[in-house]
Amino acid sequence: MASVKDLRGRIRSLKNTQQITKAMKQVAAAKIRRAETAQKQARPYADALGEMLQDLIATSSRIDHPFMNPGKAGAPPGVILMTADKGLAGAFNSNVIREAERYWRQRSDARFYTVGIKARNAVRRWGLGDRPGWPLNAPSKLQTAHELAQNVTEDFTAGEIGEIVLVSSKHVSMMVQRPEMRQLVPIERETAAAPSTGPRGSVEIEPSPEFVLSKLLPKYLEFTLFSAMLETDASFYAAQLLAMNNATENAGKLIDELTIAMNNARQAAITKELLEIVSGAEALTGT
Amino acid sequence: MTVPFKLVSPAKLIFEGDAELVIAVTTEGEEGILPRHAPFLAALKPGVLRANIVENGASRRLELATGEGFMQALPDRVTVLVDRAVTFEEVDVAQTRAELAGAPDSAAAEFARAKLQLTGHH
Repeated sequence: MASVKDLRGRIRSLKNTQQITKAMKQVAAAKIRRAETAQKQARPYADALGEMLQDLIATSSRIDHPFMNPGKAGAPPGVILMTADKGLAGAFNSNVIREAERYWRQRSDARFYTVGIKARNAVRRWGLGDRPGWPLNAPSKLQTAHELAQNVTEDFTAGEIGEIVLVSSKHVSMMVQRPEMRQLVPIERETAAAPSTGPRGSVEIEPSPEFVLSKLLPKYLEFTLFSAMLETDASFYAAQLLAMNNATENAGKLIDELTIAMNNARQAAITKELLEIVSGAEALTGT
Repeated sequence: MTVPFKLVSPAKLIFEGDAELVIAVTTEGEEGILPRHAPFLAALKPGVLRANIVENGASRRLELATGEGFMQALPDRVTVLVDRAVTFEEVDVAQTRAELAGAPDSAAAEFARAKLQLTGHH
């Protein structure tokens, strides 16, 4: 049986750990609120952009943009793997990475682009060397999205990759974050033109539908990446909140158990000491 | 007469309200939109966006330097999407000048020029 001193030491260290996890939980709770606000504020832009794209596609009879056509046949897929920069969020990062790894096992020629330090490390671990990568928490996520979009667009138009796929985390709810894989380019016509709000008659497009589309589609890709980054942020903090909450509870349970064990040990020691004193005294009076 | 007008960037909804007139710089030049405009869609280049907006019954001028974007006009509303937008108060003239001097031909320079134009420094 462990001594009282040992147990006291273990309880003290557990209490320290619990304090840290509790603090991290509170920080995560504050950050998730901020991340969700950022997501909410990006929504009007998303709605407006989607609507313009629909209008444009509905209006122009022939759409000719590389993003709308299949990529070069036989070219490897380009995979954007998006995770958080840090861990301590349960299986959050590894779930997303595992999803990408599964895809990579099937398509070993896939070219990876990473957002988030955990993603970069994973791709390195697979022995794919240094691929272009960005941290998730840059001063400006818009700038990161812009650079990333430019990078993949160049590779796509150059025929180095045949499609652009995004693997990231979907923020289903505070309790559930699910890794999700979706194809970004070529843009599927159905998704782009799905819920049409009905014909609006002829729309005057300046200077030409092709020109506006050639500006709008890269912006669409850029913004999709930006909002995926916001979503990854929100899911990360939700996962961290949950993980830290569990850790704090587990530490609490352990502390309770150890405290009982310590009290038992202490009581046992006291009883033993009393017995010794009593038997010692009895031995003396007996003479 | 006014038309519902919305100005949004990816970071936030910058303005939502009623406007009497919206003037933006499209790739083809300045374009003014009045209420009940025919359906119209154009790409914007960095420039100064101006609008006469009506708030609490009083007319007011809204002026912002904006980055690249798009403008969609429908008979019943006008929507402008921009990468970024700053107001007169947010422009740091000295810093903007430095940006412009640093890279006079970049895309950022066009936005810098729009900022200077907004503040009246050409």
